[in-house]
Amino acid sequence: MAQPEPSATAIFYRNLGWLRFVDRFGRKGSQTVEYLGGLFQMIGETIAASISRPFYTGELVNEMDELGVKSLAITGLTAFVTGAVLAIQTAYSLEAFGGKQFIGRIVSLSLVRELGPILTALMVAGRVGSGITAELGSMTVTEQVDALRSMAISPIRRLVVPRVLAVVIMMPVLTAIADVLGILGGLGIAVTSIGMTVQDYITSIWQQLAISDIFSGLGKTVFFGFEIAVIGCYNGLQVEGGAAAVGRSTTRTVVLASISILVSDFFLTKLFLAI
Amino acid sequence: MSTAVSPADVTAARAARRGEVIVEFKEVWKTYSGRDILAGVNLQIRRGEVLCVLGPSGTGKSVTLRHINGLTRPDAGDVIVFGESIVKLSEEELSPVRRRLAMLFQGGALFDSMNVEDNIAFPVREHTEKPPGEIGRIVAETLNMVGLPGIQRKMPSELSGGMRKRVALARSISLEPEVILYDEPTTGLDPVSSEKIAQLIVDVNHRLQTTSVVVTHDIVTARTVSTRVAFLHQGRFQFIGTFDEATSSSNPLLRDYFRAMGFPCGTGVFQAVSKGE
Repeated sequence: MAQPEPSATAIFYRNLGWLRFVDRFGRKGSQTVEYLGGLFQMIGETIAASISRPFYTGELVNEMDELGVKSLAITGLTAFVTGAVLAIQTAYSLEAFGGKQFIGRIVSLSLVRELGPILTALMVAGRVGSGITAELGSMTVTEQVDALRSMAISPIRRLVVPRVLAVVIMMPVLTAIADVLGILGGLGIAVTSIGMTVQDYITSIWQQLAISDIFSGLGKTVFFGFEIAVIGCYNGLQVEGGAAAVGRSTTRTVVLASISILVSDFFLTKLFLAI
Repeated sequence: MSTAVSPADVTAARAARRGEVIVEFKEVWKTYSGRDILAGVNLQIRRGEVLCVLGPSGTGKSVTLRHINGLTRPDAGDVIVFGESIVKLSEEELSPVRRRLAMLFQGGALFDSMNVEDNIAFPVREHTEKPPGEIGRIVAETLNMVGLPGIQRKMPSELSGGMRKRVALARSISLEPEVILYDEPTTGLDPVSSEKIAQLIVDVNHRLQTTSVVVTHDIVTARTVSTRVAFLHQGRFQFIGTFDEATSSSNPLLRDYFRAMGFPCGTGVFQAVSKGE
């Protein structure tokens, strides 16, 4: 006996799960497009504002201290410990092949080309990106940003440009210091635990490390700094609601900035290798 | 050859132009989350007056206020400020208009990272080339005007709610604006502080010949400060007139509102309030 044709209602309910999925996917998609649109608009305004008057030089110097100099301890410690661990791991792996003399090369190359920039960027994303979002977010919810606008002062010029420039300028500086400290961490292990001399370690580094390695490592951090600062500022200025919304935005900044750093690192590494 | 214009000349010139329309809403619509907050609002604000916008919570009083300085843009309709339509102006283009306006925010919106002096001096430093000595004098003068002399070095976190609002008012008047927008100036304050703020609004309006728009649901403040009141309900102004006209109005929405706020019309309560009984 032939089955009766299912009604339109029955078809609707049978596919309800799919419809919900499509609906949710569509909403997320439109939110993402809206977010990216706003972010790129702010980037455009920030670039335009950073090349035209008025400049807030005092604010820039303050932010370089607050966001850059005060990050030195955490980025330096991270690099130092990483350099030491890298030396231990390299020695352990190469011992069987008699390759201990390569420890200086491996540690320095890994740090200068990749680990120094990426670890510094991730640390800065955690400390500075979240700090920027929390600060601007609380200014937004307490109407301080609206107060600036009502006084005919651009929040982009006054708040965003100094922070973006400060992070962009300080990132290569922090990374260069992190590279040196990481190499010193490796040196400490090489001398105290592996039995290398300071001379051997440094000679091994000089034999391998080229200017292009340093250039590509530090060059990437300018882009990382820009990503951290614009994501931090945008998420801060977009906060709606109260303290809970500030907290959510802060988390969002750390997640997005970290993902952005890791993804862009892939492309920037290819770019700098091609140059 | 240009000649310096003294503050006295400016206030005299403003006084001479009292009564002219300086802000106008024409059929302004604003929707949030599918709900019409403003549904074809029409309003004229005249130079020199203190207009109080009254209405229940969530009816769009603050939204109306934010349309005047372009912090919020309408979905439809026009807002004309100083003879110029501002709805399509960019943030940069709005600057000259905003420099003639000041806004006192509900929580004061003082900059946490600056002390009282820097907060008050901030708009002056941004928009004028005045020397530090002159700026210091302006800060001291405005603090005197709001009754808080000598607190220049204090941080906003050290101030009470009422003091924060008075410092915010000092910051608002530091550039002697033509129009001051007050967003719930007495909310969260005790009756004594509310009375001080209300007196300050009247005093500033008189001394600087400014125009004031006060969003409030504090009937006592409205009674003290208003030249006219405008009652906003269901997205439209249901009543615009003097406070006395409002209390004797037969408009059922207005009567319900006054009754809900504890001031039933026709019972003589308003007269008692005005006499301080």
